Amino acid sequence: MKTVFVNPERCIGCRHCEVACAIEHSQTKEVLTVFFEDPLPQPRIHVEPGIDFTTFPNKCRHCNPAPCMQACPTGALYRDGTTGSVLLDGYKCIACSMCAIVCPFDVITFHKTWNIKVEHEINFKCDHCVERQARGEVPACVEACKTDALIFGEINELTKQGRQDFTLRLTSNAGRVDETPSLPASVKMSRDMNAKLSKFSPLE
Amino acid sequence: MSKKKDVNFYFSAKEIAEERTIDPAAQEMIVKAVEDGVETVWERLAKQQPQCGYGQMGICCTNCAMGPCRIDPFGNGPDKGVCGATEDTIVARNLATMLATGAASHSDHGREIVEVAYETALGKTQGYEITDVEKLKRVATEYGIDTDRSKEEIARDLALAMLEEFGTIKNSIQLVERAPEPRKELWRNLNIMPRSVDREIVEIMHRVHMGVDTDYVNILLQALRASLSDGWGGSMMATEFSDILFGTPEPKESWVNLGVLSHDEVNIVLHGHNPVLSEMIVKASRDPELVALAKEKGAKGINPVGMCCTGNELLVRQGVPIAGNMLNQEMALVTGAVEAMVVDYQCISPASQRLPSATIPR
Repeated sequence: MKTVFVNPERCIGCRHCEVACAIEHSQTKEVLTVFFEDPLPQPRIHVEPGIDFTTFPNKCRHCNPAPCMQACPTGALYRDGTTGSVLLDGYKCIACSMCAIVCPFDVITFHKTWNIKVEHEINFKCDHCVERQARGEVPACVEACKTDALIFGEINELTKQGRQDFTLRLTSNAGRVDETPSLPASVKMSRDMNAKLSKFSPLE
Repeated sequence: MSKKKDVNFYFSAKEIAEERTIDPAAQEMIVKAVEDGVETVWERLAKQQPQCGYGQMGICCTNCAMGPCRIDPFGNGPDKGVCGATEDTIVARNLATMLATGAASHSDHGREIVEVAYETALGKTQGYEITDVEKLKRVATEYGIDTDRSKEEIARDLALAMLEEFGTIKNSIQLVERAPEPRKELWRNLNIMPRSVDREIVEIMHRVHMGVDTDYVNILLQALRASLSDGWGGSMMATEFSDILFGTPEPKESWVNLGVLSHDEVNIVLHGHNPVLSEMIVKASRDPELVALAKEKGAKGINPVGMCCTGNELLVRQGVPIAGNMLNQEMALVTGAVEAMVVDYQCISPASQRLPSATIPR
């Protein structure tokens, strides 16, 4: 199962993924022209601030079974057979917002889009960049992420990497009295710094 | 699992090279760089894709410690910086800062040429001389300088008059008078007649500071004034005194592209923007003693070649062949045939210093 894996601690809140997402799904696909388009392109990924200056790029997780699909009364939401992604048939959407109500991540918004010629706002969710995937490319948000906070790949491969890192830390701690495996110095420093800085944060 | 699109996966080295340039000589070197795994400007550009949308739109402001701030282009988030600056103010300030940087580098180049001319007039330099006396007199006349004297005296007074205009309090630059009257009238009406070279650049840096100018039209007018102070001031002084020192250019035939590097001569690439250093290297490369030394060591001679704008200066005045533009600097080093790359400033990629052949003494 391929997914966009999020490494929240690597997210620096640059919102580059949001811009890349909006451009990818726009009519002109050019940074200097998209913001003159009507309707104005919008991102389908949302970078929200958390505590201690951490941020989380939140987007459709393409659940299976997907609560939004189960709640949709018109069958506008369907599963893509090739990629397993939850996709939308915009012309079937009646904008009842049931999908948004049941979404566990609250990532479903409603907007007008240039390619679905209806008068009202419709479900506006991540399409997993299935067109890019068909061309052998990774989703636009992942390509835009320069810190690897977003990585696209087989979920089991991606968690394996994290597991191996954990094993390394665990074994390097063998025979010591620490309660938990020690963190790399850089990660510890980064967390400490953010915790101190966040005292000045408006969110504190 | 790899998130980066690897061009090598899709194309052969030759196809990559053809995608990057139409110049056959540079194509050969791109193939070599790709096959040797040498990272050049194109690999770095690919890694930067897609480039930051906020940066491209100019709606990120890093001017003060309350920031950095940015405007949400989707219209949902912030429409002002912490200080209240709108997207128009932020874009205008960023553009003005870029123009100030450009005007500063052009005009500082000009200042150095005039300084060398001044020192030369005082007899304090070696190798430099007043070459185009006719042009010296013509420009001096514009400045109201008595030309019925020795060329050194005229050059000294002209250089001083120009250097004075970098920070003048007389509030005008003489060379601006060359502009056609209707154009000057337009500048006067917009109140953008440049007052001195340095002042207009400094005033941009002042105006983009937190809490100074917020009117984007007014900021852009100052950006225009600084551009005029460069184009009709510092840059024009650079041209005039370069001609006076090194000769006024005339049409010449020469050679272009990396093929100008020689198989059996000592290749010296002269790269940058200012002819002050490179003119002297070319002079030295024609010195019979140095040529004899090169021959004694087994080379057939010394082959200075230009690159980028220093290359243009040498091409138009000395007929020195030009190896390429800014994008060719790494390609020249990739040939492995370059004994030395002598640089002054501007467009010198930090990457050029890190290329393997740049560090191996040959």
